[in-house]
Amino acid sequence: MLGVYIHIPFCESKCAYCAFSSFVKAEDEHKKYIDKVIDEIARYQGEKKIDTIYIGGGTPSVLSMELIDKLIGAIKKHFILAENYEFTIEANPNSLTEEKLVCYKNNGVNRISLGVQSLNDVQLAFIGRKHSASQALEAISLAKKHINNISCDLLIGLKDMDVQQFCGQIDMLAGLGVNHISAYMLQIENGTPLEAMTRANPLLLPDDDQCVEVYDEMVKVLASLGYERYEVSNFAKYGYESRHNFKYWTGDDYIGFGLSAHSYINGRRFANAANFDDYYAGKLANEEILTKNQKLEEHIMLGLRCKAGISKQFLRIKGYNIDENESYAEFLQKGILLDNGDNIKLNPKYYGVSNYIIVKLLP
Amino acid sequence: MERIKKIRNFCIVAHIDHGKSTLADRLIEKTGTLAKRDMQDQLLDSMELEREKGITIKLTPTKMNYTLDGVEYELNLIDTPGHVDFTYEVSRSLAACEGAILIVDASQGVEAQTLANAYLAIDNNLDILPVVNKIDLPSARPEEVKQEVEDVVGIPAMHAPCISAKDGTNIEQVLEMIVKEFPAPKGDENGKLKALIFDSYYDNFKGAICLVRLFDGNLQVGDKIKMMQTGKVYDVIEVGVFVPNAKPVEQLRAGDVGYLACSIKTISDVEVGDTITKVDNPISEALPGYKKVQPVVFCGIFPVDGAKYEELKEGLEKLKLNDASLQFQPEVSQALGFGFRCGFLGLLHLEIITERLEREFDLDIITTSPSVFYHVYKTNGEMIELSNPSSLPPVVEIDYIEEPIVKASVFTPPEYVGAIMELCQEKRGIYKDLTYLDANRVRLDYTLPLGEIIYDFFDSLKSRTKGYASFDYEMAGYQESDLVKVDILLNGEKCDALSIIVFKDRAYTRGRALVEKLKKIIPRQLFEVPIQAAIGGKIIARETIKAMRKDVLAKCYGGDVTRKRKLLEKQKEGKKRMRKVGSVEIPSEAFMSILKLDDGE
Repeated sequence: MLGVYIHIPFCESKCAYCAFSSFVKAEDEHKKYIDKVIDEIARYQGEKKIDTIYIGGGTPSVLSMELIDKLIGAIKKHFILAENYEFTIEANPNSLTEEKLVCYKNNGVNRISLGVQSLNDVQLAFIGRKHSASQALEAISLAKKHINNISCDLLIGLKDMDVQQFCGQIDMLAGLGVNHISAYMLQIENGTPLEAMTRANPLLLPDDDQCVEVYDEMVKVLASLGYERYEVSNFAKYGYESRHNFKYWTGDDYIGFGLSAHSYINGRRFANAANFDDYYAGKLANEEILTKNQKLEEHIMLGLRCKAGISKQFLRIKGYNIDENESYAEFLQKGILLDNGDNIKLNPKYYGVSNYIIVKLLP
Repeated sequence: MERIKKIRNFCIVAHIDHGKSTLADRLIEKTGTLAKRDMQDQLLDSMELEREKGITIKLTPTKMNYTLDGVEYELNLIDTPGHVDFTYEVSRSLAACEGAILIVDASQGVEAQTLANAYLAIDNNLDILPVVNKIDLPSARPEEVKQEVEDVVGIPAMHAPCISAKDGTNIEQVLEMIVKEFPAPKGDENGKLKALIFDSYYDNFKGAICLVRLFDGNLQVGDKIKMMQTGKVYDVIEVGVFVPNAKPVEQLRAGDVGYLACSIKTISDVEVGDTITKVDNPISEALPGYKKVQPVVFCGIFPVDGAKYEELKEGLEKLKLNDASLQFQPEVSQALGFGFRCGFLGLLHLEIITERLEREFDLDIITTSPSVFYHVYKTNGEMIELSNPSSLPPVVEIDYIEEPIVKASVFTPPEYVGAIMELCQEKRGIYKDLTYLDANRVRLDYTLPLGEIIYDFFDSLKSRTKGYASFDYEMAGYQESDLVKVDILLNGEKCDALSIIVFKDRAYTRGRALVEKLKKIIPRQLFEVPIQAAIGGKIIARETIKAMRKDVLAKCYGGDVTRKRKLLEKQKEGKKRMRKVGSVEIPSEAFMSILKLDDGE
């Protein structure tokens, strides 16, 4: 079934590492934008049955309740929501209030993704986040009071990173009943303040080896706490995997609304324009119909990042006999790939270098 | 006036960058040989690479008409290469001329190749007309430079025209002096045909074209000619001149410079330096000709994609059509598969050929570290010649090795003498002489191993003298030397394509520098990779590339799969430039990296 993504490109402030489409704007801009997104939803004439909704950003929790009601009202009016659905909204600890949580819940939201990033105040200040560690913990408790399914984002590779401290924060999240954790390595994107900082001081951030050490330790701690690594960077308690994100990884269709939102429908990938004027004018940033080969590439690339792996038979049907790939045999022999009859999986030990491996397995 | 008295055959010689091609452009423009709209800078440098690098590689003759005092003269200019790698080609064109214009830069004065080229011209009994160029430069000192030419080169220079080829100043004076100073060719147009092939090139339609200078006799379509050295006989199907594009004419006569085509299928059938005569009325004695040019620098060239071996072969064959000095033969490397061992006149020549292969034939190639030709004397009395380090016999079988040496001269302002001596010392040079040419110029003579010169000598010389020193060399035989082979082991396996032959006392430093460099160039792999340098079985240096721990674990923002896929596709492209040696992946540039390594690193 189709998934719906709505992009909210607003934040209270810009984080030091962010190269994404998000802007600090006044509230009347929010209103104008939501109206345009609602227009866009109204224009959509494709498949109407959906089972996941994901409101991401930016920071969707900066929107007023009035705008949230309006936006979700429009989605529900235009789409038919399956009975057993997943509805996620992203929020930042500092802009999430009890009132807003109640508003989300009343609108049918059943999953909150919190941008915690770190539970260390120095690190939070360093990357320009507006919340403190205690605010984050309070926000989690508050969210948990109203909505059961809570996910937290964490960043690895921040200044003064330490294994003990990092794993300690996982214990805290688990103790609060967090059901899902996404852990990403900090990426230094061009043109961000962070890039300038690291250029001025190359030793500012921990190096790859340190990051991997922490990551490996974190994976162990998460496993011991009952979180399964069902995708390279995503960990969940049983039954709490992100259904919406799964659509990205398994090649399911999804429709994105809003600035720079991405869609994949019937083999066609397209993205809305990434600046307001162009988006309001209905322009796309890019669009492509995937070739057979590209679909195959994506299937391998995304599939091997998931615990489920990929099916050899499926590849063969799509015209690719992976047994003929030289590297495939080598990876099997070295235990980098696990071959379980028809099913191929990446050995989780090598998740960290999945790109290197996947590149060699492409047709 | 008799026809032949109105001909002047001349060339322009100079140190690199002193303005040869620019003066040639001005002469062509002034004589109206080409309309201004058809002019482009460095007209005679027809290769894209020549224009880009600002160097001349091929010889290109041009016929110009010039009227002085009511008499129309025919001026044949033969442009020549300026780089030391191509000295041989300069001497070829000199044999077709009676005069040489020696250009000297008004601010730089006499440089190493000014002198080398002037001597070449003197050796060929040419009349020399010095011309001081670039007088438009603020730092120009034309009068001093004239004096320098007289003192250093030893030819009269006070009458030398002072010009700016760039601005077109005093070009007329040069033309006038060409007519007045240079002798007309001598020869009998009704005599027996005696013509010199001074160059050749390949034309897709007409086959091999011979560039000729007629000394006696005449030549027209239908003549049956004989190449005296190869003994081959051909029917002439076209004769012509260059204006500057090839233009057919009815006849070439004694004194003329032009071309002839006679359906010669391959360029290798044409010996440059050969003498042409007619079959039915031949001369008995050929012109002296040239000694055959020998490549001095060698390297392996391999396709990045092993399947492109045939394409590489075709590319080399096509380049050879126009470049007889290029040599190649098949080579097999364990690391790199099938490729070719190629011989070049020098590093610039090597660089040009590899660039042309990549550009004109769209090939991705791997070049191994350049090497020279060694004479290896074995204990059993046998002598073998080799340039490929991996062909070196085991140490126990070697009695001794000889390496080629050169006589080198460096021209420099006196303040850099110390720095240059130090450099030559480092490069195992043996000091021969130091001469003060004048207060501002010193000439240093050294003998140096050729192998050291191809190993970043030019760059070091330039950087240590801020570009003020110039350099020229000639081959000077072989000399015994204490040389060893340094092998590189990747993950315990020897990589033959990375082996180098070095002077024993340098082996440790070089081996160390090499493994350090390779550590920087070879990306992390899934497993730890030790890099070792070894002499025989003895490890002399070691570095370790740590195993790769992570590549990208970034977030797939809002379903932007395209970005992720593009990133992978890019990585996949990059992988194609990697070579697998044993279990280790090496980027193709690693094989050339040995060259770009200074001992200080």
